[in-house]
Amino acid sequence: MKNVSIYLGLTLLAVFLAMPFVWSLFVSLHESRSAIPEFSKIVPGRPHWENYKTVVLNEQVPVLRFFINSLIVSVFVVIGQLFVCSSAAFALARLPFRGRDLVFALFLGTMMFSGTVVQVPLYLIVRQLSWLDTYFALIMPSVGSAFGVFLLRQFFLQIPREIDEAARLDGANEWTLYWKLLLPVSKPALGTLGAFAFIATWTDFFWPLIATSSLEMRTVEVGLSIFKNSYGGTNWPLQNTAAVVALIPVLVVFLCLQRFFVRGITLGSGK
Amino acid sequence: MKSRHHWLFLTPAMSHLSIFVILPIAFSFWISLQDWNVMKGTIQYVGFSQYQSLATNAQFWGSVVNSLLYTALSVPLGMAVSIVVALLVSQPIKGANLFRTLYFIPSVCSTVAVSMMWIYIYLPQTGMINSLTKLFGLKDIDFLNDVSWALPALAFMSVWTNLGPRMIIYVAGLLSVPPAQYEAAQLDGAGAWTRFWKVSWPALAPTNAFVLLTGTIASLQLFTPVYMMTKGGPLYSTDVVGYHIFVEAWKKFHLSTASAQSFVLLAVVALCSWMQWKLFRKQAESYE
Amino acid sequence: MTRRELLALAALAAVPGCLRPEQGVRTLRLANWGAAGDESEFYKQVLDIYRRFEAHHGVRLSVEGTPNTQDYVSKLLLDHVSESMPDIVTLDASSAAVFINNGILSDLSPLIRSDKFDLDHFFPNVVDIARRGHEVYALPTDFTPMVVYANARHFREAGVELPRGTWSFESFRDIAVRLTRNGRFGFEFTNWMPGWVMFLWNFGADVLSPDGQRCVGHLDSSLSIEAIQFLADLVLRDQAAPSLSQAAAAGVDYFATGRASLKVSGHWYLVGLDASKDIDMADVLAYQLPTRLHEPSTVMYESGLAIAAKSRNKDLAWEYLKYFSSHEVQSAYQRSGIAVCARRDVAKENLNFSSFYLGQQKEGVEAAKRYDAAKHQRNATFQSAIPRCRRPWGATVEGYDRIEDLCQKAMDAILKNGANVQDALRDAASNIDKELASR
Repeated sequence: MKNVSIYLGLTLLAVFLAMPFVWSLFVSLHESRSAIPEFSKIVPGRPHWENYKTVVLNEQVPVLRFFINSLIVSVFVVIGQLFVCSSAAFALARLPFRGRDLVFALFLGTMMFSGTVVQVPLYLIVRQLSWLDTYFALIMPSVGSAFGVFLLRQFFLQIPREIDEAARLDGANEWTLYWKLLLPVSKPALGTLGAFAFIATWTDFFWPLIATSSLEMRTVEVGLSIFKNSYGGTNWPLQNTAAVVALIPVLVVFLCLQRFFVRGITLGSGK
Repeated sequence: MKSRHHWLFLTPAMSHLSIFVILPIAFSFWISLQDWNVMKGTIQYVGFSQYQSLATNAQFWGSVVNSLLYTALSVPLGMAVSIVVALLVSQPIKGANLFRTLYFIPSVCSTVAVSMMWIYIYLPQTGMINSLTKLFGLKDIDFLNDVSWALPALAFMSVWTNLGPRMIIYVAGLLSVPPAQYEAAQLDGAGAWTRFWKVSWPALAPTNAFVLLTGTIASLQLFTPVYMMTKGGPLYSTDVVGYHIFVEAWKKFHLSTASAQSFVLLAVVALCSWMQWKLFRKQAESYE
Repeated sequence: MTRRELLALAALAAVPGCLRPEQGVRTLRLANWGAAGDESEFYKQVLDIYRRFEAHHGVRLSVEGTPNTQDYVSKLLLDHVSESMPDIVTLDASSAAVFINNGILSDLSPLIRSDKFDLDHFFPNVVDIARRGHEVYALPTDFTPMVVYANARHFREAGVELPRGTWSFESFRDIAVRLTRNGRFGFEFTNWMPGWVMFLWNFGADVLSPDGQRCVGHLDSSLSIEAIQFLADLVLRDQAAPSLSQAAAAGVDYFATGRASLKVSGHWYLVGLDASKDIDMADVLAYQLPTRLHEPSTVMYESGLAIAAKSRNKDLAWEYLKYFSSHEVQSAYQRSGIAVCARRDVAKENLNFSSFYLGQQKEGVEAAKRYDAAKHQRNATFQSAIPRCRRPWGATVEGYDRIEDLCQKAMDAILKNGANVQDALRDAASNIDKELASR
């Protein structure tokens, strides 16, 4: 009896959480340019699948190119973050040196400063490097992450120290220790960081908006926002079609890697 | 043994941090000490006068108050809901993992897409909430255009988007409690309610501290939903500090003022974090 | 790391480099806002215009579109700060001031002189938008006066006579109220200031002082209060227009779906109407704005093409400007119906004879006659509005969108939260003066 009520609660909550997605899907199937459907008429009389054709196979908007761009950028950011963050985390967790705490504090401190203001100097820097409107502009500023260093350091700290000692006795140097011993056993944590980096990069909006300018360099999030503004106001059905299209890859990645999400966050909270 | 090669391992991360994080922050600080007219291309050192004029800028402090209000609404509510959900999905039942996964989905979706969906949810008359409340004969509310409802509406949405990660953290916290403690409490005749308050809640102290701290930092920096949904309105009721700075920097191009405001925000965030840290350490110690 | 791993990493690192846009061909960068996404014919026309220029000059035209106009201005200013301006800037009259007043654009007058380019091709008041003394900063491409659209079918059904000549505010209100019936609204009001600022003008009021320096004494003057009260009364007291909440809930255009009978908009609006199933274009008529002046006043929203001051391709950019204002290209552009051409000859030809709206086919002689009659009526209204069009404040006052934002907030306060008109305007005016003083 108790279980039944738990299931009931869980299911109700799931329905509540899923509502917006389901709504979005329904609206995307209404006729382009039609009014926002009333709640009772949310299911369209006839599904207008051609909205998906309009969005994905648009003559003027290279949506496929947007997907390729997002994919390239996300993949390189993930690879970069895994390498950059894990090597730093390795040094901070396993190599004793003077000023280690200070370096760690520096990483943590920068996490508190956020905001749209730093994007102006960032833009100037990227411009100095002649990277505007290239993949470098989208990839390079994200290949490191203080959050990633923090997450991996916590994980490395939990791995028993004895491994290091044994390896050193066998004559292994620090590189071997990092590359051959620590990284292989850290796959869950690396998976977590990779998953987060992928989603964060894929869904980023403001930086890709300013750092790219030609249509061929737009990412999915920015590129599809074109469908939001058309003459005569918001085209709700088409806009929701674009939202659903942009969402699908994120959902696929999430469902494939869901165990890393669920496990990873636990680590971050460890004392 | 002293390490000799640690700098080699740190170089990639440190150079990235220096070029793409520290340099922009340092540059922002330098700008905040200048009076930079972007249009005219003139720049003049003015020391801390940007900060001094902020002291009397009522609109800026109004936005700070809005941010604090938003944080006070969204973080505790979000924590409470997450704990309840975590208690449910940490029961030894079949399919608990499936539900955890489902609940996580909103937090991985792009804020832009999610904001668009929530605009619909909050619409008057045809919106999801008003369609449902109409069935019970309740009054129609234009949530995002009502001075007293807009900010709570944004806070409520954040409970939804942040549920997944918070729930997982709480599940981990709950699972770290040794089962023997529950069994002992049960032998003493404690009901579920007492067991939660006597056993689980004290054990969750570090988890609470973590969620509160990270939640506060993120809430004080809120930007995208405001940009997408309310643009600071109606009547500045959702003009939170993250959005205020954005307007100052990107719409007015007052980069010096915006930079100074960013550093004030940093101070506010640091102060809040520090106070919570103090408070929770005390609490955690008292339980030991 | 083994050598193989190193090689793999190096190869991966090279991929982004290879995928950069093609180099070598001379590239001309053109910035605009909006971009595609719609099914309309307009974008196909424009793409074709680009392709022909590329083929003729053997260059690549890189069109850099920003999804919305607000972000467009921010992005261009950032480009200006970082010295990475595109060669050609599409200039929206409503936000032109900041670019013209700060030396961001080239003065075109030397090019115009040396090339003997004839500015008389254009409507003079349209060229004046980007003129500062003897200097000219942009060639206009197209523009639109704002007019009142009316759905004649609704007039017939309600037994209301169509307005004749200019109309007063009293008759405008009377008509709007009488058209409001059977769940239909007489007037559609949107709190979008570019669409309602002319109501102030036609009451004899304004937002700012003539030099654009002061707001107090203008936006909060008794005439302004009267104008805003007039609009507020239409919505709140007469309920002759949907409330802002109702409009948001519908999420759709009331006029275009046949649910409202009058609406203020520009020429671009006809493209959307033409595509609407609920509207018969033979019923869409255009009128001047109601006024209490001796002649109705309206605004013109214009876009033009300018060359960045620091462009390294000025010669080529100038070729593009000339190409775009040629009779041939302007005719092709104008056929889309998006706006009125800045070229007088093309505008006249099209407004009088040509096939603006290709979408709705009319069968039968009688239907075709009605269709043509409506078109001639609208064109005549546009023709007569053109000479009296005023440039928008944004063409001369920098950051005017901030002022619009404050005015819209005041309007929100009045329409959504029941604020007193006089108080709301007084607060807005003093905030705007603060904003102007901080510059």
